[in-house]
Amino acid sequence: MNNALSVASIVIKELYRRKDFYVLFVLTAIITLLMGSLHFFNDDRIVRYLKEICLLLIWISALAIAVGTSARQIPAERENRTIFPLLAKPITRGQLIAGKFLGCWLACGLALIVFYFFFGVISVSREHQWAAASFFQALWLHWWMLGVVVAMTLLGSVVFAAPSSNGTICLLIILSILLLGRHLNKVAVQLAEPMSGVVSAVYFAVPHLELFDVRDLVVHNWDPINWLICVGATLYAAAYAIFFLFATWLVFRRQPLV
Amino acid sequence: MPAPSLILALLFVVCFTLATWLQPWHQSWAGGRAQSDSLLGVVMGNSRQLFANHFFTKADVYFHSGYYPSVFDQAIGGAPHITAAKDAAAETDAEHGREQSEEAGFLGPPRDWIDRFSRNFYPSRHSHLDRPGEAREILPWLRIAADLDPHKVETYTVAAYWLREHLNRVDEAEQLLREGWRANPDSYEILFELGRVFDENRHDSQRARNVWELALGKWRQRSARNGEPDDFVLEQILTRLAQLEEREGHWEKALSYLEKLEAVSPKPEAIQQQINDLKKKVVSAPPANRSGAQQTGKP
Amino acid sequence: MKPILKIEDLVVEYRTREFGQRVTVAVNRLSLEVFPGEVFGFLGPNGAGKTTTVNVLLGFVPVTRGAAYIFNVNVRDPIARQRIGYLPELTYYYKFLTAEELLRFYARIFRIPRAEIGPRIDEVLKLVGLDTARKRPIKTYSKGMQQRIGLAQALINEPDLLILDEPTSGLDPIGRMNVREMIQRLKSKGKTVFFSSHELGEVETVCDRVAILHQGELKATGRVSDLVEKYKCNLEQAFLKVIGYEPGHE
Repeated sequence: MNNALSVASIVIKELYRRKDFYVLFVLTAIITLLMGSLHFFNDDRIVRYLKEICLLLIWISALAIAVGTSARQIPAERENRTIFPLLAKPITRGQLIAGKFLGCWLACGLALIVFYFFFGVISVSREHQWAAASFFQALWLHWWMLGVVVAMTLLGSVVFAAPSSNGTICLLIILSILLLGRHLNKVAVQLAEPMSGVVSAVYFAVPHLELFDVRDLVVHNWDPINWLICVGATLYAAAYAIFFLFATWLVFRRQPLV
Repeated sequence: MPAPSLILALLFVVCFTLATWLQPWHQSWAGGRAQSDSLLGVVMGNSRQLFANHFFTKADVYFHSGYYPSVFDQAIGGAPHITAAKDAAAETDAEHGREQSEEAGFLGPPRDWIDRFSRNFYPSRHSHLDRPGEAREILPWLRIAADLDPHKVETYTVAAYWLREHLNRVDEAEQLLREGWRANPDSYEILFELGRVFDENRHDSQRARNVWELALGKWRQRSARNGEPDDFVLEQILTRLAQLEEREGHWEKALSYLEKLEAVSPKPEAIQQQINDLKKKVVSAPPANRSGAQQTGKP
Repeated sequence: MKPILKIEDLVVEYRTREFGQRVTVAVNRLSLEVFPGEVFGFLGPNGAGKTTTVNVLLGFVPVTRGAAYIFNVNVRDPIARQRIGYLPELTYYYKFLTAEELLRFYARIFRIPRAEIGPRIDEVLKLVGLDTARKRPIKTYSKGMQQRIGLAQALINEPDLLILDEPTSGLDPIGRMNVREMIQRLKSKGKTVFFSSHELGEVETVCDRVAILHQGELKATGRVSDLVEKYKCNLEQAFLKVIGYEPGHE
């Protein structure tokens, strides 16, 4: 665990020394504040559209950070040859992967805290009420979803040659799941066999990342989710993350480094 | 002068010549987009209408607090009920209940454990923005939809309804309708809504009458052109005119409108009853008031 | 005396990705031992298998047959690397870190107690002459400075065995002299140094024993003085004779 945490600390340092996070945060803030400065029909109490735009930007930024950071971890270590002095130390490849995952995931978590804090400020300034439980659940579930994304991208990074192709493929898969994942069972019903079976199989196999997208509940001020359900979703995400990390270890442990 | 510079200069001259030749041709070829004076029109072209439709639907999504069928739900269950401007007088509990059961049904029972589990994470209960002032949340999307497609009449009428009826922003409603009328001078729907502003909010019967009569004229023109009369709006215009004239004591005019309404109403017997009631009222009215019936003025 | 490093019948094969999967034997039945306190030179022409052997010792490359042990621990076990220091030929480190941060990171992996990390870093940075540049990011370092930080990270855990892969490659004469002095200093402290090199002049100066590898096979091993005496010439000529090189016949 000590080795994994050490590697994780390096990943987090890298994130906040690169420009990515700051650029994305500033963009999010500027666009949100710009949209917030608009007045529709002389009513300055309209807030939901602003919450939706802000959350959409947060999701886009978080995905960019998660996929971008994870996709380049192992390939960059190989390309820059920093993996050699590292693995020449008493650290296993499994610990390296665990460390990379923890680092990327914790870095995403830190970024999310900043983003959601900004979102909270914007929301409270307009609505004058604080849905703390809902905000916390949205942050928590989003963070766990990014855990699955990071693990998936790390697996891609040991399978695909280039970080750019890995990033593109992972983003496509993630966006497809977010947009279509909930509806695949409906699509399957309307298809003939064998396509119906294939789509059903995909529906049950893929990690349903859209479960963790509770933006609509936050935007439209729905009641918080039952906490047991939240725990269930957390365990669901943890299971998929562990699966992807295990697959990553299986692939990486046998790969020659030279 | 060195050769590369000469070649560069020659290329510049060729490009400039081509541009002066192509520009007029492009203007005539690209049509409305090239001649548009709106930046959005030039940049987005006809895709504006797609986005406008999307944002109009977005307003409905917001009205239902996010509870809305996706395209996949629609493929299975049919098109959703779009919330349009409702006539508060016509809405009944039964209609609202039917609407609720129609809309509540689009999700259906969960198909599998993932479906069941996932319903905890998105709006899965029918809801409206019923509380005072909540309807303001749909306004930004209607504003954007109107900006993107100024020729989508429904955007103006729906927005105006919510502005004046639920948010008490009459000035903004009137301003929006006038903006819509400028973009759609032949729209009787917008004129009808404008008439409602004058009648229900400004209590200016004369202006309401003028606008509704203009709406009636526009309806006749369009029906003659299209051959597909929109009887629903015609009924509403005639109903309002009849009510206005009855309120003002112009019985003959009121009766005239009611008779026209009877011809197009799906419930002519109800209209006939109204006509009979009005005639009784005319007969029993004092002679001074009865003279109001002498005012003619064909609509 | 037990060997600190032991290679037994090591075979390393690479399968090419071409159609038909041709097999290349990089190391062929290599056996050798390195004893505590000695400076051992690992020599051979390009493609002899030196780097492959070093990569096996560090766990970068899997063994096809045979085994290698460091401190009696199989090299497949990460704990075998607890008491070694490694300086790669091409030195690249995390450019966004400072020298101090890099050394602190590696010190944590070696599980050096927190209280000792600070003094250890100070000592090592002074030793390699990077004390004044400790707070600067490594991306601002020159090549020589990067080589020195490489040396520093190889020494952070006070290793009993130092594995150096072409340690003087790309260095100027002063840099090479510093490396020689460092090796001799380590030897005087009782450390063991195992390094591969092309610089036969340096090998002859600092090494106690050498092994000569050619086409994956061990051709000769022993003390430098014994080899010189056996072939009746200097080390360079002995090396050429051992690998079977004849001038004019390439």
